[in-house]
Amino acid sequence: MRIEEHPILDFKRGKKIKFTFNGQEAEGYEGETIAAALHAAGVKVLGKSLFLHRPRGFYCAIGNCSSCLMVVDGVPNVKTCVTDLQEGMEVETQVGKGVII
Amino acid sequence: MKNSAEIVIIGGGISGCSIAYNLAKKGVKNIVVIEKNYICSGSTGRCGAGVRMQWGTEMNCKIAKKSIEFFENANEILEYKRDVEFKQSGYLLVADTDKEVEQFKKNIEVQHACGIPSRMLTLQEAKEIVPYLNTDILKGAAFCEKDGFLNPFKTTDAFYQAAKRLGVEFYTFTEVTDIKVDHGKVIGVETNKGNISTNIVVNATNGWSKQLCEMVGVDVPVYSERHQIMVTEPVEPLQGPMVMSFGLNFYIQQSLDGSFIGGRGDANEPRDLRMTSSWHFLEEMAKTIDLVLPTISKLRVIRQWAGLYNMTPDKQPIYDKADNVEGYYIAIGYSGHGFMFGPITGVVMSEMILGEEPTIDVSMLNLNRFKTGKLLLEPSVV
Repeated sequence: MRIEEHPILDFKRGKKIKFTFNGQEAEGYEGETIAAALHAAGVKVLGKSLFLHRPRGFYCAIGNCSSCLMVVDGVPNVKTCVTDLQEGMEVETQVGKGVII
Repeated sequence: MKNSAEIVIIGGGISGCSIAYNLAKKGVKNIVVIEKNYICSGSTGRCGAGVRMQWGTEMNCKIAKKSIEFFENANEILEYKRDVEFKQSGYLLVADTDKEVEQFKKNIEVQHACGIPSRMLTLQEAKEIVPYLNTDILKGAAFCEKDGFLNPFKTTDAFYQAAKRLGVEFYTFTEVTDIKVDHGKVIGVETNKGNISTNIVVNATNGWSKQLCEMVGVDVPVYSERHQIMVTEPVEPLQGPMVMSFGLNFYIQQSLDGSFIGGRGDANEPRDLRMTSSWHFLEEMAKTIDLVLPTISKLRVIRQWAGLYNMTPDKQPIYDKADNVEGYYIAIGYSGHGFMFGPITGVVMSEMILGEEPTIDVSMLNLNRFKTGKLLLEPSVV
């Protein structure tokens, strides 16, 4: 699902770009965030909670809640709800707290 | 609130709680601890949580060694139902000058004389322990695997709970406004919640100790210096030991939850008891970590805070009683290592107050040493 019309904001959709989600090819638009593209593609589970491993998804959408942390191009703990999608990005579900080397 | 007490301890950090616990364990009844905020709200709760034996003076080495032996069994000794989370993953000290390497060697001689298992490492060995250490800028390293870290809140809570079970009363959010002296003798403490008559007062307020000493006219050569700490996002376990450098001015460890906690000092800080955070600290810290530990400089900082070091001229604590005011005891001036010395602070102060044979002779940490000018300076402080 994407918001097509909004009473205040104007969504200018850029050109279609390709990225991968857990190795699978996916599509989104330039100018939208990673989480928005995943949401539009029907991906609801962005990660798992640290201790009880419960599903975590799109929640605050403004970079505060850490519910959307994912591994992007090998970097863990990326807030996908406030990170712009780029051509060829490799987006992966994060397991655990993230590994930096 | 009680209107009289055998002993009044001012300060509800690790020192105050440990002194109270030790006195109560030795059978002293009617002990009161007064804390102007909440337990652990001062320097203890703001510290970097590290505990090490790699010191440069015999006195600091001895106190640190005894304290670490205590921490190894703290849960059992204090009958603590939770866990103080003591983890001995070592301290890796790194030096970027030959002068500091020489200092490490001298320190290790002192440490070995005290039975501390520290050793010099080659840069290659240091890199095996912390693979992302930038040894290109380093000259040498020292390591002690028995050093480590533990949770300051839970450790203080363990002392607090144990002291309470032994009958110690704690008055939090209670501020001492004056200490009454009559004919050179302590006779009572005035607080914003009421007055308590007592003949023994222990100043365990560290950062605020000078102000408390001024109330009774005891001159102490200490000042408080703001030190800041930052914490990063948590990641999977990556770094075993605390990495620390005196010359490069930083320390950083990975806590049990995976976040990195690190800090540095700044000798140009204004000495006005401020505990606010500064951007300058973050900038300097980021530069240093990027230089020495480039891999972890990728981590995002999520929070920073500040606390007070109470500095003495030789960077060793003062354990003493006042010459001119009978019944006024001081346990202050830890110069940044009050948390790790906490267990022994309680032991030596309780022995001093009760006139018992000391477990460790700390008589050289008296107040008069600063008048003679013959100081043994602790060289290894961040």
